[in-house]
Amino acid sequence: MLSASSRPRVSKALVAKGVVFVACAAALLTFPDWAPNPYILSAGIVVLSYAVLSTSWNFVGGFTGYISLGHAAYFGLGAYGTALLVTELGLPSFVAWFVAGLGVAVLAVPIGWAALRVRGASFVIVSIALVLILLLVFQSWSGLTGGSNGLVVPRPFPDLLRPEHHRTFFYLFAGLLAVTLLAWWLIDRSRFGMGLKAIREDEDKAEALGVPTYAYKLVVFVVSAFFTALGGGMYALWFGDLDPVFQFSILIGSYMVLMALLGGVRQLYGPLLGAVIVGSALEYFKLEFGDTQFHLVATGLLLAVVVLFMPDGIIPAGTRLVERFKPQRSSIREMSAADLLARDEAEPGPAPGPRSTPPTEKEEAKR
Amino acid sequence: MSTKTTSIIRIGAMLGAATLALTACGGSDSGGGDDDGPITIGVSLPLTGDFAEPGKGVQRGYEAWAADVNDAGGLLGRKVELKILDDQSNADRVVADYESLIAQDEVDLVFGPFSTRLVVPAARVADEYGMLFVEPAGAAPEVFEQGFGNLFYAAPAVADDHYNYLAEWIEALPADQRPKTAAYAAMDDPFAMGTAYGLKDKMEAAGIKTVVDEKYPPNTTDFSSIAAKIEASNADMIVGGTQYQDAVNLIVALQQLDYQPKLAAFSTAPTNPEFPEAIGSKTEGILSPTGYTEQADIPTNKEFVESYTERNGNPPGEDEANAYTTGQVVAAAVEAVGCAEQGDCQQKLIDWLRDNEVDTVVGPLSWDEDGRPKGAHMIQQYVGGDIKIVLPESVKEAEIVYPKPAW
Amino acid sequence: MDGSLFLQSLVLGILLGGLYALLAAGLTLYFGIMRVVMIAHSAFLILAAYLAWFFHRETGIDPLFSLVITVPLFFAVGVLMQRLLVARLRPITLTMMSVLLTFAIALVIEGMLGFVFSGTQRRIQLGYSGASIEVFGARLAVVKLITFALAAASLAALYAIMKYTRFGQALRATIQHKEAAQLVGIKTDRVAGYGFGLGLATAAIGGTALALDATIYPSLHWHWIGPLMAIIVVGGLGSIPGAAIAAMVLGIGQSLLQIPMGTTWAQTIFYVALFATLMLRPQGFFGGRLAQRF
Repeated sequence: MLSASSRPRVSKALVAKGVVFVACAAALLTFPDWAPNPYILSAGIVVLSYAVLSTSWNFVGGFTGYISLGHAAYFGLGAYGTALLVTELGLPSFVAWFVAGLGVAVLAVPIGWAALRVRGASFVIVSIALVLILLLVFQSWSGLTGGSNGLVVPRPFPDLLRPEHHRTFFYLFAGLLAVTLLAWWLIDRSRFGMGLKAIREDEDKAEALGVPTYAYKLVVFVVSAFFTALGGGMYALWFGDLDPVFQFSILIGSYMVLMALLGGVRQLYGPLLGAVIVGSALEYFKLEFGDTQFHLVATGLLLAVVVLFMPDGIIPAGTRLVERFKPQRSSIREMSAADLLARDEAEPGPAPGPRSTPPTEKEEAKR
Repeated sequence: MSTKTTSIIRIGAMLGAATLALTACGGSDSGGGDDDGPITIGVSLPLTGDFAEPGKGVQRGYEAWAADVNDAGGLLGRKVELKILDDQSNADRVVADYESLIAQDEVDLVFGPFSTRLVVPAARVADEYGMLFVEPAGAAPEVFEQGFGNLFYAAPAVADDHYNYLAEWIEALPADQRPKTAAYAAMDDPFAMGTAYGLKDKMEAAGIKTVVDEKYPPNTTDFSSIAAKIEASNADMIVGGTQYQDAVNLIVALQQLDYQPKLAAFSTAPTNPEFPEAIGSKTEGILSPTGYTEQADIPTNKEFVESYTERNGNPPGEDEANAYTTGQVVAAAVEAVGCAEQGDCQQKLIDWLRDNEVDTVVGPLSWDEDGRPKGAHMIQQYVGGDIKIVLPESVKEAEIVYPKPAW
Repeated sequence: MDGSLFLQSLVLGILLGGLYALLAAGLTLYFGIMRVVMIAHSAFLILAAYLAWFFHRETGIDPLFSLVITVPLFFAVGVLMQRLLVARLRPITLTMMSVLLTFAIALVIEGMLGFVFSGTQRRIQLGYSGASIEVFGARLAVVKLITFALAAASLAALYAIMKYTRFGQALRATIQHKEAAQLVGIKTDRVAGYGFGLGLATAAIGGTALALDATIYPSLHWHWIGPLMAIIVVGGLGSIPGAAIAAMVLGIGQSLLQIPMGTTWAQTIFYVALFATLMLRPQGFFGGRLAQRF
């Protein structure tokens, strides 16, 4: 028998949350069935890959507050790593994928060690520089990477027809997304995550309090690079054709940031939400307005709007907007500060309401 | 902020996004599968970006073909309709474009895009949907090494063989007139490199020393250091594996350094009508391989040149001609096999082309099992301010100018 | 490496370094005044180049005359940008958010350029584009000389403004210590706005100079922002002379490296210098009191 305590209310919220989760998961998992044609399915895969990338970005951006605009570097490294392991060393596709992810994680250690020495805008500059230099390297080293001719990635399942190919990869990406979300959730709940959030709030104070800031930052940086590289590798296996200009693209890096910021960097599903909104909008714009650069303008405007008006993400901004229409939370005092001042000037005396200090004998005597 | 509000907002956003995705597809009409309606042909072209100039030329060619076919009563009695998307010279865009044309718009036929870089990914999409893929502009070796069973290149020769006639002519020169050293500058693009290196191999075999061999990424705009190296080497001949803007930039940089070669050959750019003005009208003697000439006395060519000039005010160039040829090839197959739709029809079209020859504005074309055409390109040169065919002897319009006058 | 090629590259490097110095000076101004890392600076550069090209195409007059229009226009835009956008950001996260905001502005500019002018590469063809003069065995292209002269003149003018005018002094005071400048009675908000405008005006000059000899396309700005950021970090954030020196050094270095390494690999010098500076001396090599680990 339920007691008249807060338990029914908690269960209700939990049940609501559960229902939403199941509904969304069901919608996601059955998408290949209700997608009208393989083209929409492939657009869905692109959105999922963005979700993976922005959630991976959010390990660094959301927990530590360090904004990396060049995260596409790991995307590209993962993609090319997978492709080269398959073509040069002949590894089976998914083995190469995982090994490439690990390889990028290892590579991220010295990169992070160097990059995390600086903060704030300097870090942003370093991240942009990283992706630009990798772009140059991969364009020029054409003996290894195919340069601007691109690199063809052999299909992991060569006998599949294209629509089947899309279906398979949709589920693979969904699986990767689930693992990434799980990792984020685990970190969020752990002491490690708490330390990271302390770094985000005030790094020097966190250091003073004993949080090993440098080590923590480096670990989460490597984890983020690992998942981003896995996303990149899977993209390479799905898409089949790599070009340095797209794998090491500042634009993709900015999409990751935009999606995470828009959805809300502090929420688990924030980047996913941002990816769904921005990703679908992007595909739509590119198809309809393909021969203009309008999608760039749209991305830029959206980013500017988010930065200026909703830096915490669309969910808090949305809730604030909704709450404007609800009854306002009023203050305990019925009077405003101006009223209080006027009243005190008219007759000096103890003010009504809770006092922080007990009245002195003088004032007691007065009363 | 209560959990319920978050959840509600989350559902709302998800549904909103899903609706957005659905509206994106809801807007399209299914063009294919209709036996009496127009035949829709899907194409993705680089109308903006690195390959925009030739891309627009190809567009004009396709449109000229469609107009001519419709004027003559259509294909199989049905009108043809082109659906052209812009891929911004991007390889990932071209894949999405063809995917949406084939899977979403359900076009009956597809034509190829421009540039080898874009042809390979696009051909793969078409191949995986089982569609015939005739393309006007993918000539590099790797196009034919991918194992595509559906690809046909609609021009006389592949990239490596573009300069064959020039190589022969140089080899035939007496030893004291022949160039001794050569400089090569090629864009890191399969076609551009293919042409330049095809000539390089033959020149090296003939004993002409390579003193500069530079490769640069596609959006390079600063050629001062490459030009400086070429000028310092004092090579007798310069061969450019180029597209359009890079050739212009390289030539201007070479002019700024006052480098005067005896022979200058560039692929693609000199066939473009804006080329002379772009390099300050100092074009005399510049050579270029070309698959097409509007003077050629080939069946269907005269009519093409006439109707194109009437419609556009100027005669067609090579890109337009290659596009027109693509249209002719596909039309020949469709008329012979008698169908134009997705599905088994496509394989029948492919099989027919494998075994037959088609008459086009660039001459009769036939292909090997990988889609390579069996022919050779002509060599054109700016003589007296005009473009003239100078090689091979059998079709030449003017004597080749050598050594090149100063620019 | 033979002598004439070396000399030629050296000369090209000096000419290039001049342009870099002008552009880096503008970037330094933004950072000094408001701790804003203005990623959109190179986008404005390309915008100015497009305006010069458009001007030349429509009127046929030499593009240098477009400076008469673009410099005041960009100055005004700079002031507006500072007052309306940058000033709105919360002070705590200013630097970070300004990076994102200016990044967004850069995307919008690139998109609008592509929309209006299409992505086709453009190049101005002038009568004197191919002309050159010979100096000590090296050939100097006339257009490159004009670029260098413009850059040098602008830097000199900037120096004169900063040193000898009241506004320049107020600007320097604001850069050095904002609160102290306010205490002395300088209207730092207005000065900051004008300083921004000044920075953007240098982009106008740089862009027009660039348009004389370069091929422009909308996404060209990414090609410039990397080297420019590297230059201001190496030079020391907030120090104009530092930026100018770093620009010359790296410009010459890039040009010389092009001989053995090729154009693309030579560009890596900027990033190598950037990483090296951040590892060894994060406040930059020439930065004065202002440069800091931020």
